[in-house]
Amino acid sequence: MDPIELRLPHTLQRPQATSNHEPITHSTEPIVTGTSVVAFKYKDGIMMAADCLGSYGRMAMFRNERRLMAVGKTTLLGMSGDISDYQHMQHTLENIMTQEYDMDDGQRLGTKSIYKCISKIMYNRRSKMNPLWNSYVIAGVDSGEKVLGYVDLIGTTYESPTIATGYGSHMAQPILRKVVEGREDEITEEEAVKIIEDCMRVLYYRDARAFNKLTRAKVTAQGVEITEPYSLETNWDFAESIVGYGA
Amino acid sequence: MTSIGTGYDLSVSTYSPDGRVFQVEYAQKAVDNSGTAIGLRVKGGVVLAVEKIKHSRLLVPHSNRRIMTAGKYIGVASAGWMSDTRHLVKRVRDEARSYNDVYKTKIPASIIAERLGMYVQAYTLYSSVRPFGVSTLLACMDRNGPQLYMVEPSGQYVGYRGCAVGKGKQVAKTEIEKLNFDNMSVREAVKEAARIIYTAHDDTKDKLFELELSWVCEESNGLHEHVPQDLYDEAVQYAERSLDEDEDEDNEMEDDEDL
Amino acid sequence: MFRNQYDNDASTWSPQGRIFQVEYASEAVKQGSAVVGVRSKDHVVLVAAKRSPNELASYQKKIIRIDDHMGIAVAGLTSDARVLSNYLRTEAIRSKMVYGRSLPVGRAVSAIGDKAQTNTQEYGRRPYGVGLLVIGHDDTGPHLYEFNPSGIVSEYYAYSIGARSQSARTYLERNFANFEELTLKELITQGLRALRDTLQQGKQLDTLNTSIGFVGKDTKMTILDGEATQEYLDLLDEEESAAMETE
Repeated sequence: MDPIELRLPHTLQRPQATSNHEPITHSTEPIVTGTSVVAFKYKDGIMMAADCLGSYGRMAMFRNERRLMAVGKTTLLGMSGDISDYQHMQHTLENIMTQEYDMDDGQRLGTKSIYKCISKIMYNRRSKMNPLWNSYVIAGVDSGEKVLGYVDLIGTTYESPTIATGYGSHMAQPILRKVVEGREDEITEEEAVKIIEDCMRVLYYRDARAFNKLTRAKVTAQGVEITEPYSLETNWDFAESIVGYGA
Repeated sequence: MTSIGTGYDLSVSTYSPDGRVFQVEYAQKAVDNSGTAIGLRVKGGVVLAVEKIKHSRLLVPHSNRRIMTAGKYIGVASAGWMSDTRHLVKRVRDEARSYNDVYKTKIPASIIAERLGMYVQAYTLYSSVRPFGVSTLLACMDRNGPQLYMVEPSGQYVGYRGCAVGKGKQVAKTEIEKLNFDNMSVREAVKEAARIIYTAHDDTKDKLFELELSWVCEESNGLHEHVPQDLYDEAVQYAERSLDEDEDEDNEMEDDEDL
Repeated sequence: MFRNQYDNDASTWSPQGRIFQVEYASEAVKQGSAVVGVRSKDHVVLVAAKRSPNELASYQKKIIRIDDHMGIAVAGLTSDARVLSNYLRTEAIRSKMVYGRSLPVGRAVSAIGDKAQTNTQEYGRRPYGVGLLVIGHDDTGPHLYEFNPSGIVSEYYAYSIGARSQSARTYLERNFANFEELTLKELITQGLRALRDTLQQGKQLDTLNTSIGFVGKDTKMTILDGEATQEYLDLLDEEESAAMETE
């Protein structure tokens, strides 16, 4: 009798070993993944959003994943990529914040410090050829200054008034460039919510790994506020007019 | 101590003929010379209080804390050598973290006390080290409610409702035994703890001292923290007032005797 | 000082609960020339009296820079101090690397305190034979700490260690309450004033034997030696003659 062959999703197929002298590999792909994070500066602080889907390959496996978190009281963290690596990072950050609490000396880890620390962790892991398969967006108001930074699995970092990860860097970033950049200090919270929801809606329409259930967060000098998951109004009428693409 | 000078008290790995380990007893002495530390466990939480003796007026107030925190929710108060205390606090922090790394839950009080007890005990086994000159009070809230443990230089650890170590432990213990633990709120316990430290303080020996007060309770969300400033001030006032009243009573009694 | 059976090593308690080797190490601190530390609300200052082994030799360095925000003054075995200052520098640079922030002064001092503690507990080691005054400025303002061979660290408004430092402490105890509002120059003068009280009969503070270090809000750690100290020694003399006139 033939053995039963299990086929994993294509994202899980390991490259076939060609000889016994292959180099050692660690993670070569993410497993359960979260898609884009979108964030930008506005008048009072930074607005950020991410949906609640954990995909297993192309399968919409977990539909209640939280990908935005507060680190301490004044820093907001958003994550794209492998969710178990994210959980590892959460644990690491929790330990660091516990250490800080225990010190009890009036010192606080600001957003810049946390950004630097996460960047070092990411770079350190990639240098061991065993990266945490994530892109992180770190935001906060540090000594009155708005900070918004990015770091990915290679340890690449940059700061910008608008940041979108993953598919969002193709679909949401152009929108943010157009409506946000140059106006970071004018945009009201109300407008910021509208902009970020527009981005998330576009992503939901176009990104096949996106999901219409999302959390949104803002971080201001007062601290971090993360919403409960909610859905956006969508309109699929345009789908009727799409012709071609195998439809 | 009659065995002083007989040579049986020089190493922690030597028993005396009557089965004692003197080095551990001497370490205990270092604890007895230190400022008093007490812990009170009531229904809603645990309170720690320490009499921090100050050897100079040049010291910055509220610095050089003798009550410290481990893993956010464990309070560590101690009597004895301050540098040994820091060593043990570091150990408690490491244990709390490693437990959380493995089980992803906070470490129960009984386990942290056991692990610290084991660690301290290891320093009573080998001639290459000396025992810790510290008694450590551990306070925290776990799934069994408020917990208070004390770990001694021998490595012995015991759970308590109320305990005291240091110079004024006799006075403090007498006062603690009078308390009604069942019907006491945490806030009341804070005030009583302050009063007991003030009572145990010996003005003739140590002039300057500072009271440290901390708690773990529902009001602190299960975290270990120094008590809020207003409560601290209230507790100090209460302590000073009861001391004055005691003095008045004593004076009255003396007057009565005169009659 | 008499020899007893309990003073051979740091891993033996005496029947009174003392560790003689640690106490003896503290005596080594008293062999070193005095150093004084004083603090105002914005600055913190170290002053030290240097010694020279003979006329052909240079003067022994007493104040060491750790980082832009931190420095130490040494009394006792200078070579032990170098081990500790090396360690402090490593920790300071690590804090900058990992968190992008200057190492909080209190944590720096605790780190060397913890290091010193192990030397007081294990057979075959000796406690550090050096006392340090550590100054620094961080997010919680200026700080002055004392480190001693027992591994105990304490924070002070003003303090002095080393030979005949009791005289300086007496002066400081009388005057420290007025230091809070002093300017940097006045604070240095006060430090020198206290330091002068520790000198042997007939000795004077001069540009050869005086060392001054300071750090503060918007002031990087600076060490003055030689001619640079003249300005402050003059101030001390001026104060002196002014005091004489009023008398």
